[in-house]
Amino acid sequence: MEIDVNVRVAGGAGQGVHTVSNLLARMAVAAGYHFHVTQDYMSQIRGGRNSQSVRIGSDPVRAGRVEADILLAINPDHLPHVFPAVAPGGFALADIPSAEPPLFAAPLKEMAVRAGSPILANVAGVGAVAHALGIPPETADAVFAADFRGDFFDKNRTALRLGAEWAKDHLSKEVVERFRLPVRSSAPRIILSGNEALALGAIAGGCKFAAGYPMTPGTGILSVLANDGPMVGLVFEQAEDEIAAITMAIGAAYAGARSLVATSGGGFALMVEALSLAGMMEMPVVIALAMRPGPATGMPTRTEQGDLEFVLSAGHGEFPRLVLAPGSPEEAFDLAQHAMDLAEEFQVPALLLTDQYLADTVVDVDPDAFSVRPVRRHIVRGDSVPRTGDGRYLRYATTGNGVSPMAVPGEPGITVVADSDEHTEDGHITEDHATRIRMVEKRLRKGAMLAGRTLPPLFAGPPKGDLLLIGFGSTKDVIEEARQILAREGRYAAAVHLRQVWPFPGEELAGIVPRYKTALTVENNATGQLARLIRRECGVRVDGTISRYDGLPFTPEGVASEARRRVWEKNSIPG
Amino acid sequence: MGEKFDTGVENTWCPGCGNFGILNAVKKALEATGKEKHEIVLVSGIGQAAKLPHYVDVNVFNGLHGRALPAAAAIKMANPSLTVVVTSGDGDIYGEGGNHFLHNIRRNVDIALFVHDNQVYGLTKGQASPTSNVGWPGSLQRAGVISEPFPPLAVAMALGCGFVARGFAGDPDFTADLMLQAIRFPGFAFVDILQPCVTFNKKNTYSWYGKMAYKLPPDHDVTNRGKAFELALEWEERIPLGVLYRKERPTFGEMHPQIPGPPLSDRDTPEETVRGLLRRRLTAAG
Repeated sequence: MEIDVNVRVAGGAGQGVHTVSNLLARMAVAAGYHFHVTQDYMSQIRGGRNSQSVRIGSDPVRAGRVEADILLAINPDHLPHVFPAVAPGGFALADIPSAEPPLFAAPLKEMAVRAGSPILANVAGVGAVAHALGIPPETADAVFAADFRGDFFDKNRTALRLGAEWAKDHLSKEVVERFRLPVRSSAPRIILSGNEALALGAIAGGCKFAAGYPMTPGTGILSVLANDGPMVGLVFEQAEDEIAAITMAIGAAYAGARSLVATSGGGFALMVEALSLAGMMEMPVVIALAMRPGPATGMPTRTEQGDLEFVLSAGHGEFPRLVLAPGSPEEAFDLAQHAMDLAEEFQVPALLLTDQYLADTVVDVDPDAFSVRPVRRHIVRGDSVPRTGDGRYLRYATTGNGVSPMAVPGEPGITVVADSDEHTEDGHITEDHATRIRMVEKRLRKGAMLAGRTLPPLFAGPPKGDLLLIGFGSTKDVIEEARQILAREGRYAAAVHLRQVWPFPGEELAGIVPRYKTALTVENNATGQLARLIRRECGVRVDGTISRYDGLPFTPEGVASEARRRVWEKNSIPG
Repeated sequence: MGEKFDTGVENTWCPGCGNFGILNAVKKALEATGKEKHEIVLVSGIGQAAKLPHYVDVNVFNGLHGRALPAAAAIKMANPSLTVVVTSGDGDIYGEGGNHFLHNIRRNVDIALFVHDNQVYGLTKGQASPTSNVGWPGSLQRAGVISEPFPPLAVAMALGCGFVARGFAGDPDFTADLMLQAIRFPGFAFVDILQPCVTFNKKNTYSWYGKMAYKLPPDHDVTNRGKAFELALEWEERIPLGVLYRKERPTFGEMHPQIPGPPLSDRDTPEETVRGLLRRRLTAAG
């Protein structure tokens, strides 16, 4: 990438860190650049040490970087923690009495007061950073106009300009020249997070009912469903607990509404009994699970991919399920539609497995990158409802592929009987063993059919060679950039991204893995759950795992350096 | 009356079970609504009481233990034209599903809840239920029940439930009338039904309830919340039957902006609307 500038904004909760990253990102897009925002925040409402990194690039940016080229410390108390992350040649701004380059003392609060509001210190900071990047202050006007009216619009504009003027007078010439972004033409871009993209995908997939109990980092999905959902007649309700949320979604599904719940690991743990209910009653329901580090409350606002094995085995009894793991906001949008559709077609629970990193990552996307497919309903109505000789409808009619035509209550002349007990074809309780066998096999036939529709893994890189990196979900673009870093050094690795983890794409992987001297999974967990899954499902060798479990996401440099160490450096030990 | 919704499904209750009286009352009340079988949904959890929907020829959602209410509430939200009735036991609604009992009263979704309250866990063979009296000898309560009984009517009154009533399995006609009123009531309507368990509860029998229970006089003022609350607390000496309290307030379906309109299953998703939601996130070129 020709241009690649990483701006980190650090401050306490409530000090406008998000405002800065959002404003800067939108200014960068308006200036013709792309960005990637990662959020690193603590579980508190005020204070704490939060930061967001806005990585600005001339190409679409799809992963973060550790080192900051520019640091804006809104709270100077955080300098000792964040200043060491400033890259050689980079600089930092903080509201302190005096400083020596590469740290500059910027009187942010004073400029904010002059602009008319002391809370605009963060905006003055953006003005200074924008000046260093060569983005003119008027670029922000359209952004402010979208967010603010009247007096506050003017104050924001003033604060930004004061910041820019200060930078003009005080930042060294080298600094300004080093980071100045060349003028480019720009195009409108859609700005959204992984959570937003997933929720909008669910809406595009025909979701009409959603319920949830707020839990970080899944709450953002509920926000979109509650706020944007009304445009398509979606009913959202905040439930008293996660058990109620998923039971409501299953009830709504019984009544014919495509339904979704969103949560994180602990909330999903409470939903597990009802996941099994959906399996038994054959109710389509989509569960969005944004993972965070566990066990128990863990680290509520940080990231981890520790629930993979949990979601694959959650629920008592045996029943088919679909588990998708999007790797980017675009893929979250796409797979959420797919989950909505397949859940209904096969009458199974479908999971969308993300994590805090993807949930909170914000990027700019080409508006045409979102494919909106027509919603195809799989519910039978009127004359298409199959009836027995005596006019009855059998909710669990035995069929060749296991899928029974699904009618919904309200259909004249018939009743729809759904049961959590083992049941007869007409939905009534049974303890007949022959019927039990027929029903078990009917449900499992749906699983076999579902496996036939497995989304193949995405592959990049040479067809054989030294190293294969395998990941699922949010690591997709981090691994891709790591692959590119290695390729620039003449080290060629291939990468596989699993966007579907169940039914497992075992055949495809079994064909790919043995072609490489070393195969490593890249997993945001401590025990290498994906590696175990591949060994179990494909019976192929996986040499080890590049793992991270400190609560933070991988970075491309981190993955590349670990791959280098294990595969290409002397005496390297894979695994 | 009541034959309209007969099914051929084999009944597995004990002979003489109070559930039979409740089943007769449910079928009578449903027939009196004039609704057809496809317009009614019976929702239950798990337990002997929760098997009731299988014996009535209407739509059935027989879900998990304790979880009848959230399913029922959502079915009504998804299709308000359906008549949704929950019929389940005291362990199911007051124990396992206690949180849902509290919050669905608050929600005031237009559904009716009939609780078969036999003060015992029958299907699991004789353990104490949330409504068992102190000292009652449950099979897992070696020293007898120690905890105070859950007062369902008082809890419902405290939460502002708009329709609070108590019936008796031994008087199906009287109970059917309460059920019909509850179904017709716009909002969350709750009927606790005293139900003798002939197998596991040798104390709270037909004759015990017969002695303890009395019908509220015709001049009882159902709009007097204070008086109704007092009646809801009556238990040790005598037990009131009938409608204790009735007050309409706007239902969840009337208050939730997205519920009025066609059932959710009939709502479409125009591509242009989805594109519009994406465009809300569009940032302009410079």
